[in-house]
Amino acid sequence: MKKTWTGVLLAAALAAAASGGVIKAEEETVFVYGTTGYSQEMGDAGLNPHENYSGWSAVRYGVGETLFRYSESMEMEPWLAKSYEFLDETTVEITLREGVTFSSGRAMDAQAVKECLEHLVQTHDRAPYDLMIDSIEAQGLTLTIHTQEPCPALIRYLGDPYGAIIDMEAGIQGEGGYANVAGTGPFVAESVTPTQIDLVKNENYWGGEVKTDRVTVKSFADGSALTAALQTGAIQGAYGVQYDNYALFEGNPDYAIQSCATSRCFFGQFNFDSPLMQDPNLRQAVEMGIDKEGFCAVILEGRGVPAAGAFPDSFSYGNQAVTAASYDPEGAKALLEESGWTDTDGDGYADQDGEPLTIRWLTYPTRLEQPKLAEYAQSTLKDIGIKVEVNNTSDHMTYAQQGDFDVYVSSLTTAPTGDPEYFFTSTVTGPKNYGHHQNEEVTALTETLHQTFDDGKREALAVELQQKLLDDHAYFFISHLNMGIVTKANVTGIRAYPCDYYEITADLAVE
Amino acid sequence: MRQNRRKKKLIFFSVLAGLLLATALFAGYLCPYDPYAQDLSLAQQPPGPEHLLGTDRYGRDLLSRVLAGSTVSIYASLGLVAAVTAAGTAAGMACGWRGGWLDAVVMRAADLFLAFPSLVFALAVAGVLGGGLPNAVLALGAVGWPKFARLARGLTLAQKNSAYVMASRMSGSGGWKILIRHVLPNIAGPILVTSVLEIGTMMMELAGLSFLGLGVKPPAAEWGSMISDGRSLLQISPWMSLAPGAAIFLTVMIFNLLGDTLRDYLDPKERERNRQKKEETKR
Repeated sequence: MKKTWTGVLLAAALAAAASGGVIKAEEETVFVYGTTGYSQEMGDAGLNPHENYSGWSAVRYGVGETLFRYSESMEMEPWLAKSYEFLDETTVEITLREGVTFSSGRAMDAQAVKECLEHLVQTHDRAPYDLMIDSIEAQGLTLTIHTQEPCPALIRYLGDPYGAIIDMEAGIQGEGGYANVAGTGPFVAESVTPTQIDLVKNENYWGGEVKTDRVTVKSFADGSALTAALQTGAIQGAYGVQYDNYALFEGNPDYAIQSCATSRCFFGQFNFDSPLMQDPNLRQAVEMGIDKEGFCAVILEGRGVPAAGAFPDSFSYGNQAVTAASYDPEGAKALLEESGWTDTDGDGYADQDGEPLTIRWLTYPTRLEQPKLAEYAQSTLKDIGIKVEVNNTSDHMTYAQQGDFDVYVSSLTTAPTGDPEYFFTSTVTGPKNYGHHQNEEVTALTETLHQTFDDGKREALAVELQQKLLDDHAYFFISHLNMGIVTKANVTGIRAYPCDYYEITADLAVE
Repeated sequence: MRQNRRKKKLIFFSVLAGLLLATALFAGYLCPYDPYAQDLSLAQQPPGPEHLLGTDRYGRDLLSRVLAGSTVSIYASLGLVAAVTAAGTAAGMACGWRGGWLDAVVMRAADLFLAFPSLVFALAVAGVLGGGLPNAVLALGAVGWPKFARLARGLTLAQKNSAYVMASRMSGSGGWKILIRHVLPNIAGPILVTSVLEIGTMMMELAGLSFLGLGVKPPAAEWGSMISDGRSLLQISPWMSLAPGAAIFLTVMIFNLLGDTLRDYLDPKERERNRQKKEETKR
């Protein structure tokens, strides 16, 4: 009898435990997010904002937050900061928000922000030049930043994801694609790898209730796999769906598409160390041999806008403010002939001394439309007599750094801070100038832009700089892109922003 | 009766294979359009009277690309099979005839290559050497020869002590002469059958490497890379992958059936059975 009762009690306890588990699992809301925008190849694996582009991942996936953020019209809004005031040209006083804590439990105050920013400028590649921080004073919730020289874009740069505020006392756990940090965002990373991030909600989030309990961010290298995963329900949201796959989701009540125009730009840079590319006629011919309109209308399915300059039409210093070479195959052929490139052997390619005119086109597959652009350009450039050898590789950075290319086509958010300076300091005079284009005037103008406060003057400088790059035929701009997030219809609170950040937020909910 | 049927089957599949080879050889003349000419205004057209197999995302005619792709896909596979057959057979015969350290070394090397899944090994080789058709062929060749070496070695060992070989030795013939003039013709049948059956396998593996981006480079028309091109549009423009897929399916099937029929036709047991039946009928 005693044994029977013991058995019954055990069974009841097991049943209760099991049912409790089930109820808990049912209550827990989980969101699985697939993206082509998280990978080692993109330079944003891991969550350490002080390394390369990993800050993008920290901010995109709700772990890190910056002092200021960008609105939908790319205006600055306070985030972890409440307000700021320039005391003079080199001093800015920032008042921080009260009641913010890191996921480590530490309260965020000016001292914590100071430690974070000091570590940032010690370790990051772009931040020291952007921010020009000389010293920082911390008192309570008041942070005073002194810059080495006037830094008009300082507040905008503090909104860059590398400016995500993390607890340096808790430190950076792991390295590279495995790095984890304690931020102030609505989510805390449980595990981080170069291909997946597992997030749980931050129970003590300062910004209110976090509507989803768990989020898993999965990296996808293949666009078809991403689409299939969304269709089968393996993921509930996707960033980076191929443009030609949008037709599968548009008008389908089971899915929702969030899309907006961004300053993300497909552009090419010529290698000035390559003997072939020394010829300005050849560089201009390549520009004139690419049909941007056709590429945007058909290959990008209308989700891209032909680019003339680095910035889209929505900026006053955008496409409409500059003049670029337009698609003109006959003009391109004439330029090649002027440089002595003609098809003497009738093989369809221009040649000189028996050597066909062959250029090495470097690109990479993660931005799924870039290889398609390469194949399209192969055809349109063939029409003017240029043979294009495409090197479409995930290891593009090695080739780019070694200068093993004639044309390097990549993609970049040219105005991630809503300001033109970033493009010039990072890509024209900075570390991303893989083609080693040098123009003293451009360098001087970039420096002037870096120190100019007046918005009107900054815009004029941005136009002048772009035009100089176009006149040098150093860069060519192909298209500005709409970025989109496709989700299941029951997912709310996720949206696309022009700056391309803030994907996973406290508002994310799975109904 | 059965042998007659086999002969007819053999002729039928040989004709089909011959047609494929002729198509691949004269593809340049058979293409209705330039297989590389892009016209975005015709992008992703479904099959119709103008474009029998439709067009791809760049507006290129798919029938022309399938035909142009046949040259690369079929002749690269044939060349590859010919090379691995020759190399493997030579190595296997030498090992079977000489034995000793040569046999030990070459066969252990063959074991090493056979231990790897061929496509994985080919991926590693193509990954190290880089993409492109020559490297893909080299990679598959590196894993293809041991099969033939093992087969040729076994067959050579079986023939080594046969009466005709002994007679040849006694008549003063040298080792190489015996191997080439006497042993090779006697072991050629099974090797030929294996070789023909291998064409389909190699074609699939080459297409697989191209599908993975390690074979031919764009914009070259090749069936594997064409399937890969159309993969992202499989649900929207399925003809982009189906056309080259069907071409691979048909070609591999024809070569496999030809190999099977050839094996049946050359089967010595079957021939002996037929001979006995004929004698019985005469009696």
